[in-house]
Amino acid sequence: MREERAPGLLAGDSLNLRLARRSLGLIALCLVLLPFADLAITTHDPWAELGRMLSGLLHPDILATESLPHAIALTIGFALWGTLLGMLLGFPLALLFPHSRLLRGGCAFVRAIHELFWALLLLQVFGLSAVTAIAALTIPYAGIFAKVYAEILELTPRAPVDALPEGVGRLSRFVYAELPMVWSRLSSYTRYRFECAMRSSVLLGFVGLPTLGFHLESAFREGRYPEAGALLWLFYLMIASLHLWGHRRLLPWIALGSLFLLGPWPDIDGALLWRFVSVDLWPQPLLEGNWSGLWQWFGEIPDLLPAIGNTLLLGLMGTAGSLVVALLLWPLASRHFGNRPTRMAGKGVLILMRSTPELMLAFIFLLMLGPSMLPAWLALSLHNGALIAFLVARHADAIVPGSHALPASGRYAYELLPRLYGGLLALLFYRAETIIRETALLGMLGIATLGFHIDSSFAYMMFDQAFVLLLITAALNIGVDALARRYRPREIAETPGQHDRPAGEAPC
Amino acid sequence: MSVEELVRFNGEALGHARHTVLAELTLGLQAGERVALLGPSGVGKSTLLAALRQRLGYRAAWCPQEHGLVPPLSVYHNVYMGRLERHSALANLLNLIRPRRDAWHEIQALCGELGLEGLLKRPVAQLSGGQRQRVAIARALYQAREVFLGDEPVASIDPHQARRLLHRVQNQHTTCVIALHQRELALTHFDRVWGLRDGRLMLDAPARELTLDDLDTLYPDAHSSDPQPEPA
Repeated sequence: MREERAPGLLAGDSLNLRLARRSLGLIALCLVLLPFADLAITTHDPWAELGRMLSGLLHPDILATESLPHAIALTIGFALWGTLLGMLLGFPLALLFPHSRLLRGGCAFVRAIHELFWALLLLQVFGLSAVTAIAALTIPYAGIFAKVYAEILELTPRAPVDALPEGVGRLSRFVYAELPMVWSRLSSYTRYRFECAMRSSVLLGFVGLPTLGFHLESAFREGRYPEAGALLWLFYLMIASLHLWGHRRLLPWIALGSLFLLGPWPDIDGALLWRFVSVDLWPQPLLEGNWSGLWQWFGEIPDLLPAIGNTLLLGLMGTAGSLVVALLLWPLASRHFGNRPTRMAGKGVLILMRSTPELMLAFIFLLMLGPSMLPAWLALSLHNGALIAFLVARHADAIVPGSHALPASGRYAYELLPRLYGGLLALLFYRAETIIRETALLGMLGIATLGFHIDSSFAYMMFDQAFVLLLITAALNIGVDALARRYRPREIAETPGQHDRPAGEAPC
Repeated sequence: MSVEELVRFNGEALGHARHTVLAELTLGLQAGERVALLGPSGVGKSTLLAALRQRLGYRAAWCPQEHGLVPPLSVYHNVYMGRLERHSALANLLNLIRPRRDAWHEIQALCGELGLEGLLKRPVAQLSGGQRQRVAIARALYQAREVFLGDEPVASIDPHQARRLLHRVQNQHTTCVIALHQRELALTHFDRVWGLRDGRLMLDAPARELTLDDLDTLYPDAHSSDPQPEPA
């Protein structure tokens, strides 16, 4: 009898082997392209800088910031009104969403542009006002709510509608037999989105709006680390205590109360606004119908191709980095490894990293390491890796291992990872859209991605150029999302993400 | 005495698109007749009831299995839904916020008769399986139509209760077609039995001419003991 040959390296047709080949391919591609990335460390002594930051975190000075309560109130007010208006706009759109391709495209477009880019755009018209801040959240959130609400509504069970007597009107049918069936899912998603809005609202400070992020940014930038540390702790505290103050009954009162703080409202000059929308945003040759001039105009955008290349490269590096970080870190928070204190610490670290927005992490690393792609890479990998690791650990905790005698490495490689890997990879591909969106944004810190050029175009009042770059960014984002959807493992019937997030999780 | 025939099927095939569930169906439903519909689960009882419902249109009150209810809404609102089409959309919306007084009193009385007193404000999600079935029956009764069509309305209710509920339903509706799996009830509470097996109508006879053994022939495992209750 002929002996069956042992298979070669990674040869075979099982699901996990296919997934392993796919992820190793991703990492290999990243390694091959790595030499093209600028990863220089340009500061003198990064470790000393890190030491000073950590000492600031350990000795926070809460009294150093002026008008702190006002900043906190504004942060909450912007987040609340941004979510509320986004919901009010998004819900009716969700009802039309399945019927209009144009609407779906429009929603994908407004979603693909980051809240901060919207803020930069709106800033030109409404100045540093609450209108800018709230609209910057409302516009993309309306697109997100439209999509996610539509997906939730699509899953409405049919039986109650079928049981209705004939002749019931559309509206009565909807409010009695459809809406109540999905109400809890809609409201839990809205709640989750409000948490995202809190983070985005803090970040709005990075473009100059007076939220917590404004004080955080200036304290970090000017090296006032005890103050920065206090603000960072305050930020975590606000997010962590959301379930205490974010009560259904309390939120309307907070929303009404914050109205008194949001002013002064800007005077809107209709003619100026119209001029901005109809003339300033569009390239001059396009308005004149001069096509060869338009081509030339495109050629004059500085470093357009390198910026697109860098955005894609950083996005790829961030995705591969997140995968590695997630693989390494998930055991930290899982009940299958370590003991109680190590798990507590591991969970704490993961929660801290996933609660800190990429932009903030990148900003901190930038101060440590100097401007290159390295801080952005670290920030993307750590934030998204920790987020995925945390969800995977929760999924792992639901698994009962077959044999307890295995050493830790055996448990990791033989018992747990094979069952978790598909879910992990699915989460990673879901995150790819967020990663590329954030990658573009990180340019605002001076990293040579598209965001850098958008930011400087706005700074030089070249609105047409900024707008076209925004369109390119959005198109890139939509393209990457489509690509990630294509390569997402489909074979996994149930990913851990589905328990933690409502259908069709959109980027936070 | 001539009797009005409400529905007639003449050698028709019933089913979903491209999949026939019941072939060559020939039967008629006479006004004033109480019909029990028997047969193993999955044989097409629901398909036949759906076809009857479609033919009868506005004359039929429909009592589906409990998954036709809306669990997050209260018992009151679930029963109210039986007459949703008789009020304007605005009236229905207001009723969600503040129950209509006339509807509330009527539903309160109805629920009292069905053993649901004191539960009107309770979400259906918090009720037991038997209570939910009674809510479904209450909704069908509240529709106040001529013919009652029920898809296993008394499936998970104890025999004593089941008899009481059937009695209440038949008091209000002289004509009814009710799918059952309790064969004894078919003989004691109905005028006629329709029996389905293997995609056909095997039995269409007055209940008084039948015995339990006749009914047993409808079930493939006729020789085993009592049939298990069908899963909902």
